[in-house]
Parts: sequence; C-alpha cells; structure tokens
Amino acid sequence: MRRVPALLVMHADLGEAMLHAARQVYGPVEDVEALSNAEYSRDGLEHAIEERIARWPHGGLLLCDFPGGSCQQCSLLAARARTRGPDAEIVIVTGTNLSALLDYLHNREKYGVVELAERVQKKAQDSVRVQRGQSA
Amino acid sequence: MSWQNHRVDDRLIHGQVVVAWGTALRFARLYVVDDQAAASPWERDLLASSAPGVEVRLLTVAEAAAAWAAERDAAGGAMLLVRDLRTARALVEAGAGVTAFTLGGLHYAPGKGKVNEYLYLDEADREDARALLRRGVALEVRDVPATRPQALAALDPTIAP
Repeated sequence: MRRVPALLVMHADLGEAMLHAARQVYGPVEDVEALSNAEYSRDGLEHAIEERIARWPHGGLLLCDFPGGSCQQCSLLAARARTRGPDAEIVIVTGTNLSALLDYLHNREKYGVVELAERVQKKAQDSVRVQRGQSA
Repeated sequence: MSWQNHRVDDRLIHGQVVVAWGTALRFARLYVVDDQAAASPWERDLLASSAPGVEVRLLTVAEAAAAWAAERDAAGGAMLLVRDLRTARALVEAGAGVTAFTLGGLHYAPGKGKVNEYLYLDEADREDARALLRRGVALEVRDVPATRPQALAALDPTIAP
C-alpha cells in the first residue's frame, strides 16, 4: 500500500507543536508538514495549501484543528481545486488531536486515503474521555 | 438590537468570528458581503456551514446596502463581514448607514506594510480608509473582544484625512 501524505493545517504554532510531540512518541516523522494560518489571508492560506498538496499525485489528508475556522475552510477550497478523481482524493479531517495524529502515522501505509481519514476521525473521537478522580 | 459589529477581515468567517465574537455578542445573523463569494453556490454552502447555529446571509454589496436599514430594526443581533476596505467603502457609498468598522484582520500581501501583527495596508487601502473617515465612519483596530480597540489613525497617522 502506498504511503498517504498529510499536511497539518492549524492555528498559530499548534501543528508544529503537535508534530514535535508526535516525534517524541513515534520517532522521526517523514512526509508530514505543518502549515500555520498565522499571517495568511483567506486567499493566501488557500494558495499555500494548494502549493503543498500539488506534490501529492495520489491524494492525501489535510488534518485541521477545529471545524469552522480558516484552516478548515481554506483546506476545503484548496482540496476542491486540486482533487482530480477517486485515485487522487484530498480529504479533510477536523478535530485532529495527538491520538489521531499518532494513529495516522502508524497506519498511513495500510489504508487508502478515505479509509485512513475515517479511521483517524474515529481515533480522535474515541480519545476524548471524561474520567472523574476517585477519592483516596 | 440588530447591528452589533461591522468587521473588515480577509478571512471572512473563521475562528475569531465564530468563537470569540460569536460568544461575546451571541449574534443571530452573520452577513457576509462579498461579490465574488456571493456568485458561487459552493462558497455559499461552505460559508453557511462555518457558523453552526447562526443564520449566514451571503450578499453582494448592492444587496447588502439595500438590506442594511431593515436589518438595523430587526430583532436579535447581527454582525457584518467584508474582506477588505474597498468593499467596506463600496458598501457605505452604496447607502449602508454603517457608523464604524472594526479592522480585525488584513494580512500580509506583497506591497502591503505592517501596521500591527494582523493588519497590513497599502496605499489603496489607506485611500479607502481616508474616504470612510471623511464620511464619518469610525475605524477601529481590534481582532478579538478581549483586546482593547485602537483607532486606526492612532496606529497609522498617515490615515488621517
């Protein structure tokens, strides 16, 4: 199975920090970049994403922090401009957290783009848990 | 109540608008005034889905100018977004009775100079700003509600008309 590339499109330094944390848990990380929305206009961020995903002939994942922000919207705009059919699909996943990123890294050579995106989504959702502290 | 804020922001609907301003103002309607986006059904859907729980109205400048007075008297709150000072000026010149714009984000592009971390202007922007000031429209710089607004002319004295 071909490795699925990814780009983290996130607010401020979050993407770079998440990659840094992932390297500590996973080890060296290749074929993943972080792109901050800082200092970009809507058009500027869209073009910056487009430039990067143009290097993905077989598609890939755009991993965003939260839905509704400029990162997600510009990812959707860029993906729409670049997607060239089912064999080169660009898929956006919002709500990406460290658990989801680690799961992506461990599985990016085992699944296709869409299947991997769905798996990453489920991992992000499953990782949010509420546990009440117990008194001693 | 209606108009709560008129904002110039080249990202249009995004995190600061939905999360920070949306929480502070609790507006019921979000007007996006943009001729380019209004012409695209796909962008219309994208923007409408970006502010859950808020009615998004994507209008051309002419449509927004015509709708402005009726919205002023409507129940509930409303916020208006334009992507640049040229559109803000066009909206006012088309008849909208806007008395103040908040400059929340005009990011770097070639030829634009830095005013602060989220505000970059070129001479065309400054001329649009001067035109708005001459019409009595206040221009304040503020990205999120938790920060203190500053007059644009205080940050960039060349703006003074």
